[in-house]
Amino acid sequence: MGLTGLEIFKQLPKTNCKDCGQPTCLAFAMSLAGGKASLDACPHVSAAAREALDSASAPPIALVKIGVGDNAIQLGNETVLFRHDKRFEHKAGIAVSVCDTMSADEIAAKVDQVNKLVFDRVGQTHNVNLVAVGNCSGDAGKFAVAVKVAAEKSNFPLVLMSEDASAVEKALEITAAKKPLVCGANAANVEAMTNLAKKFDVPLVIKGADLNELATLVEKVVGMGHKQLIIDSGAREVNKVMADQTQLRRQALKKFRPFGYPTIAFADNADAFQAVVDAGVYIAKYASIVVIESADPADVLPLITLRLNIYTDPQKPIAVESKIYEIGNVTADSPVFVTTNFSLTYFCVAGDVESSRVPGYILPVDTDGISVMTGWAAGKFTPEKITDMLQNTGIADKVKHRKVIIPGGVAVLSGKLGELSGWEILVGPRESSGIASFLKQRWA
Amino acid sequence: MILIGERINGMFKDIREGILGKDPAPIKHWAKRQFESGAHYLDVNTGPTVEAQDQPAVMEWLVNICNETVPLPCCVDSTNPDAIEAGCSANKHGKVMINSTHADQWKMDLYLPMAAKYNAAIIGLAMNESGVPKSASDRAALAMEIVVNADMHGVPMEDLYIDPLMLPANVAQEHGIEVLEAIRQIKALAPGVRTTLGLSNTSQRCTNRHLLNRTFLIMCMAVGLDSAIADVDDEALVDAVAAANILLNKDIYCDSFLKTFRQR
Repeated sequence: MGLTGLEIFKQLPKTNCKDCGQPTCLAFAMSLAGGKASLDACPHVSAAAREALDSASAPPIALVKIGVGDNAIQLGNETVLFRHDKRFEHKAGIAVSVCDTMSADEIAAKVDQVNKLVFDRVGQTHNVNLVAVGNCSGDAGKFAVAVKVAAEKSNFPLVLMSEDASAVEKALEITAAKKPLVCGANAANVEAMTNLAKKFDVPLVIKGADLNELATLVEKVVGMGHKQLIIDSGAREVNKVMADQTQLRRQALKKFRPFGYPTIAFADNADAFQAVVDAGVYIAKYASIVVIESADPADVLPLITLRLNIYTDPQKPIAVESKIYEIGNVTADSPVFVTTNFSLTYFCVAGDVESSRVPGYILPVDTDGISVMTGWAAGKFTPEKITDMLQNTGIADKVKHRKVIIPGGVAVLSGKLGELSGWEILVGPRESSGIASFLKQRWA
Repeated sequence: MILIGERINGMFKDIREGILGKDPAPIKHWAKRQFESGAHYLDVNTGPTVEAQDQPAVMEWLVNICNETVPLPCCVDSTNPDAIEAGCSANKHGKVMINSTHADQWKMDLYLPMAAKYNAAIIGLAMNESGVPKSASDRAALAMEIVVNADMHGVPMEDLYIDPLMLPANVAQEHGIEVLEAIRQIKALAPGVRTTLGLSNTSQRCTNRHLLNRTFLIMCMAVGLDSAIADVDDEALVDAVAAANILLNKDIYCDSFLKTFRQR
């Protein structure tokens, strides 16, 4: 999105002096918007205006990196309010917190637990991203010890949660090389914190008492020359957090620069169920980092799953793994269905096989996640591929019969498929909703 | 796509006779008929036969009849500022629309404050006293004048409808492609600014008027046209708009999209 003529015109000196070669400032703004002129042609434009125009052409939400190496995470660069408009770009980071009031052994044990929060979802691994160390004791020495233990144990980047600049400085001396996130600055400590973040070149959380104070503080920090920021409106009740998160994203997309940074939210409800639900809201509503207290896999798995779903690209078809699926209590006599691995197709067929009350096997052929008819038209749902599945998945060892049911839409494949595979091909109904009656008539 | 029904205009014989005979029947008839055809606004114009001093009262009378008949806002169409003001204060449904100002300073200074005062939408013609510009970029430059002035008067961009002015295809054929390019450029002038078109001009004194009108309308929609003053009695035109809305992903598709569009 380029700059509009009006946005440029508002930044021009409005002298109409013609030094740029255009008859008026308005005409000059128009040619800038059209990419036909350069701002350098105007000798009277102020430094502030130049800065405003430069930053306006930057992405609406800055990209901020936390940590180093393989486990570093990138946040921000989001461009939409709704995922269906385009996509959500950078998965929210999930941070699990430990407190410096815990003993070194307790901290080490909990960080170990966090390291193990790695889950296998649809053939990919997903994990939490950060360990947040809280300065709950208020003591700089204790905080340094806790940070040291966490930094040695953790596979993931750290979030240093303290509003005491001297405590943060000690912690940074231990772990600055790993680029932790400092959390953070507020109205009272903003200068000291910003100077530390600049000195150690680490990202910094800015917390305002409300949106207005947040905007003021961010402008101050940017004015001091630090731009690796994560922002926090200070809200803690879920409804208020959600309202603020929405405002932050909305204003950022409208190019309100002080809110053009990723956000952090805290799901610290004492009730574990409530904390997970709260964190779910924050994942859906624009938070770039969500800090939780629980390292219990049962609490984290639903959040990992929700995050994965929310951050998938709606424009790319979603595929299921291409393998044998057993629906119900299958036996060696159960029917075998072939379909494609487009998730919509697979779940349609799976649902209808289930409701037919006849246990069955489903083999979704890998068509790169496209549907039966699309896959057939694209040459991705072929007799060769289906034969490959029948021979190499082990389905032949699971059933005594050699009959396979194919979708009615690709009846034309049956001859070639029969020859290639040696299986008897039954042409099923065109729609999977016909599976139940098809089985009644054809599968004794 | 916002459709502004053009039919309540003193240029048409039945409306003119209604005005002169103080008979609301033809006005009511066309208000209702255009509403049912899918209009979002009713353009209201006293026509040139009404004396200048009578225009405000006639405008008020017309707007009142429209308001009583259907729940649509009026698009107050006049070259007489007093008639525009009378129409603005009479309008009771939704957001009234002023038709129109052009890019001359004296006219903008008159109508933009009026739009701000009545919280009205306003149509800005991309022309000035020297006439309709030829090229797309000249149209956009005049549009920019209106945009900047609207911004100064606090008229939100979403309430500003710029009309790049289409001329008849038989005598000014080369303007069509310039208008399309102008719409593209106007959409880039300011965030949220809207566009409109006096569509029937396209086919003035041509044959196959309906075909020319609807073909040009959907071409314009593809490059960002937001509204048009048009003959909504032309069923094929409204069908084409409904179809274009689907193809531009503005309305969610359903099998009965023609009916759904008309139900607003």
